[in-house]
Amino acid sequence: MKANSLALRLFVTAAAWVLVVLPIAGWIIYTRHRARVVEAFDYQIWSFLQTVIDIAVEEGAPGPVPPSELGKQFRTQSALHWQLQWQIKPLDGKLVDGKPAETLRSRSLAGKELPLPHEHGIEPEEDETRWADLPGPDGQLVRVREKIHQFGVGTGAQRYSVTVAGRVGEMEETIADFRYQLTFALALAGVGLLAATLFQVRFGLFPLARMERSLAAIRSGQATRLEGDLPSEIRPLQQELNALLKSNQEIVERARTHVGNLAHALKTPLAVLINEARREPSPLAQKVIEQADTMTTQVNLYLDRARMAARIGVIGRVTEVGPVAESLVRALDRLYREKELSYSLDCPAGARFQGERQDLEEMLGNLLDNASKWARSKVSVVAAPVPTDGSNGAGQDWLEIRVEDDGPGLTAEQLADPISRGRRLDETKPGSGLGHSIVSDLAYCYNGKFELARADAGGLSARLTLPLAT
Amino acid sequence: MRVLIVEDDRDLNRQLVSALTDAGYAVDAAFDGEEGHFLGETEPYDVVILDTGLPKMDGIRVLEQWRRSDRKMPVIILTARDRWSDKVAGMDAGADDYVSKPFHMQELLARVRAQMRRASGHARSDIECGPLRLDTKTARVTLNGQPIKLTSHEYRLLAYLLHHNERVVSRTELVEHLYEQDFDRDSNTIEVFIGRLRKKIPPDMIKTIRGLGYRLSQAGDEG
Repeated sequence: MKANSLALRLFVTAAAWVLVVLPIAGWIIYTRHRARVVEAFDYQIWSFLQTVIDIAVEEGAPGPVPPSELGKQFRTQSALHWQLQWQIKPLDGKLVDGKPAETLRSRSLAGKELPLPHEHGIEPEEDETRWADLPGPDGQLVRVREKIHQFGVGTGAQRYSVTVAGRVGEMEETIADFRYQLTFALALAGVGLLAATLFQVRFGLFPLARMERSLAAIRSGQATRLEGDLPSEIRPLQQELNALLKSNQEIVERARTHVGNLAHALKTPLAVLINEARREPSPLAQKVIEQADTMTTQVNLYLDRARMAARIGVIGRVTEVGPVAESLVRALDRLYREKELSYSLDCPAGARFQGERQDLEEMLGNLLDNASKWARSKVSVVAAPVPTDGSNGAGQDWLEIRVEDDGPGLTAEQLADPISRGRRLDETKPGSGLGHSIVSDLAYCYNGKFELARADAGGLSARLTLPLAT
Repeated sequence: MRVLIVEDDRDLNRQLVSALTDAGYAVDAAFDGEEGHFLGETEPYDVVILDTGLPKMDGIRVLEQWRRSDRKMPVIILTARDRWSDKVAGMDAGADDYVSKPFHMQELLARVRAQMRRASGHARSDIECGPLRLDTKTARVTLNGQPIKLTSHEYRLLAYLLHHNERVVSRTELVEHLYEQDFDRDSNTIEVFIGRLRKKIPPDMIKTIRGLGYRLSQAGDEG
């Protein structure tokens, strides 16, 4: 995710929310739960105390009856439960049945004494119980609740301290256990939420990425409009963009048509001027011819440029080389009928040019025209995909088209730099002399290559390397 | 030798007419597609120079219609549209040559001559028949190497006979190919010109084939 991106904004806001809300929620849950646990702990102690008293009282008995099995019964009553201990201790030292009153206590106390809150100066509450957290017989902190209760009849009747205690550590353990589980669950939820947010952002913004790819395709000329079924939120944007592209294209188209029309419209008057001037030997006529020739060159140059500019935006087209070469050869065979040239074509079906038909016609037409002009008897066209070693990068495959003739060819110096605009390699044959430079310019437009070399047959070998349509 | 020019630009049309007339051709001019189409359908031309961007009827359509109705005369397309796609379209419609504007008149004349020769089956630029020799480039006829002075009508007649030598050419054919459309077509004038030609070249080279026409052949060749 990049800084300053929609994805980052969405993710950060969602993440911040998760990071703030989860700890707060955790804290609220924890404190409430803790309060409930403490309450349950206290209640359990309190209700055990009441139970101990209820069971210990027996009508007519000289003292309290030991509530022997209480602990076990009690343990099963609640999900939250703790090991509790009880103790009933006589306070007044009177004799019962002639013996000193016994102190009764749970077996788990193993004869040890529970601390008594009233001995620690704790005041009783409304229900006459006292409670406090005091050090227990094993040195651990225990919560004790005590009620002074009168047991027995006759002389042995006296006050007893009935005490019930639970270990505070045990209760804290329960709470800590919960805290651990809560933290783990919330952390898991946090991670899950962040992952979900990430996915949501990615998934939600996916159409934007698709739109970006579509736009790139338009810019590189592989598409003319924004295609695809985009979500309703960005569909208006898509429609507006397409309308903009269309009107832009129309403007360009119109401008290009005007340039073309202007250039073509100028050619006839130029022809008239040149022809008229040629009939006169005057210096003025010479000047007119000279200037009209310059104008012709300029008109052709800008006509080419206008055509060249039109390349941008139509690179998505695919042209089969075979049919183009065939129609050109058909035309040239008629144009050079006297020479009775034999044309050989080798353009397999896979030889397809990634570009506009007119451009291929222009390049191949000029090359074939040149070859036909100079050939003695043979012209050949061979088109084939360039074998790739898979390492040429960018994934672009290339198509090589070779046009060869058995004419005189070019000298080494001419081969060194034959392609300069407006210069004719040989002025003796008619033609504008622009042929090769148009080919070279067009090939350049397609990131291709144009080279001249000596053919095996002795003549000129013109090689075009152009993008291959796959 | 009759040439039809179909060109809507008046100045260019006039220049073409004058250049071709000077070169010894009988020239008709049309200024729009319909007129050009009609003339091409009805008159026998040896070469047609056809512009493509014509009013009323596009040049390519004119050409296609001629070819469909089996009019086979050589057609040179003269146009400002010089892309290869335009050329291929023109050639596929049945054109024989293609000249882009602006052009050099000399080049166009050379192309016209080439089409004439091509149509009559002569491969070279000069046509020979016995001691007679026609240089189509310079529009000059020589007899045993000596130039013969000819008026333009005499030249047209002799050039046509030379293009079609060893073949019987009817008077009607001669009239149709030698005169512009609006010319008074009295075939008697042909006889007058034949008579004059016979005084300038060996007289027995032009034979009168009774009821059929004339034949130019090498002197002494009886047939």
